[in-house]
This record gives sequence, structure tokens and C-alpha cells, in this order.
Amino acid sequence: MPERLANRLKERRSELGLTQAELAERVGVTRKTVNTVENGVFTPSATLAIKLAQALEVSVEQLFWIER
Amino acid sequence: MDSYTTGLGVGIAAAVIIVAVIKWLARNKPMSVAEKAEYLSKRRARMLPALAVIFLSQQAAFFSSLGSPHETSAYTVKVSAWLVLSVVILAALATKGFWLERKEVRDLIDDENTRANRNDAMRWGFLCSMGAAIAVYALTLFDVQMNARDAVHIVMTIGIPAALIRWGMLERRALRVA
Repeated sequence: MPERLANRLKERRSELGLTQAELAERVGVTRKTVNTVENGVFTPSATLAIKLAQALEVSVEQLFWIER
Repeated sequence: MDSYTTGLGVGIAAAVIIVAVIKWLARNKPMSVAEKAEYLSKRRARMLPALAVIFLSQQAAFFSSLGSPHETSAYTVKVSAWLVLSVVILAALATKGFWLERKEVRDLIDDENTRANRNDAMRWGFLCSMGAAIAVYALTLFDVQMNARDAVHIVMTIGIPAALIRWGMLERRALRVA
């Protein structure tokens, strides 16, 4: 069974009332990148994962986990 | 002025006209850096397959003239314009592109996901080019006559559009909202 990086980006973003574009602006990427990370299409680098976690005020482990 | 220089001039003039039209269409549209990056990102996703079609249609003109005398002025102009377009596309694939935009916009538009998509497209372009090179090599083993220029043309005709189409596909998929 292949491993994949699951996330609760969308859920946390909605809790904070942020749009994808607003989150993207906070992190310094385009909306497209936030969209692909949210949908599991793109696996972010450690740097981007940390930036996303900081922008969403949670730890990286709370935001991302490995699904088997 | 020889016909090669004329061809080169025609290619560069065409590129300048295209850039001028794009800039003129984008006038009076005040946008933030993020909005501009989003707008250009969408435009790039639409443009990449179109660019592949333009490139391939230029190749059709080349291949239809195979076997005819190569030293005519029309042929030289066509080949020189093709060469300019190839270099521009390769430069766009290898760099962030959008050279006339502000640095902040260019940095944002070449973010992590775009770089990953671009690298994947380059990988596809390389593999397709190598596949075409092997096919051309194999053909010459069966007494098919081909000069070096035609062989390079075939390899580039496969490799460049492969990279463009792959990048376009990945960008469109990334822009699609779930």
C-alpha cells in the first residue's frame, strides 16, 4: 500500500475563515500551490509545510500526517 | 543582407509584436502582485498547449518541404523563424519566463508547485527527445537517407511540444478547483 501525505489544510483554513488566495498570500505562494497541496495532488517541501503550519497557527504534525 | 539574417529579423520582429500586443491588452488593469501572478498563471496554462500547436504547425511547413531544394530564401526564412521560436520556448522552459514582468511577480509565479511541474515537463521533453533520437538512429540503419539538420529538426519537433503539453496539462490540473 503506497504512503501518501494527508492534510487538514482545508478544514483549518475554513476554521480561520481564510480563502485559498488569502492563505497563499500569507505563505508567499500562488493560490494554485495551496489548491494542489489541499487536494493532495502536490507534496509540499518541508519549508512550505512549516510556512503553512505557521500561517494556520498549528504544528506541522497537526496539519500533515502520513496515511498508509 | 543575406536571407538568414532576414529570417532572424522576421522571427525577432514577430516576437516583439506579440509582446507589444500582450502588453497593450494588459493595460489599465491595476492588480496586486498575487492577482497578477494568478492571472499570468492561468494565461500560461492556456498558452502552453496553444504554443505547442503553433510550434507543430511550423514543423508541418518544414516537413512538407522535405526533399525540395533547401537553399531557397523562403526555406531559410522559415527555418530561421523556427529557430528563434525554438530558442525562445527553450528559454521560457528553462527559466521563470515572463521576462518583462516585475521581479516579485516572476518570483511568485515560479513558486514550488510551478517548479515541480516545470521539472516534470523537462523530464518528459528529455525522454521524448531521446526516444525520437533513437528512432531516427534506427531508421538510418535501414538505409533511410537523412542529413544532420533534418535529424535535429525531428528530435526537436518531438521534444519541445512534449514538454509544453506536459507542463500545460500539469498547470491546468493544478488550477482546477476541487
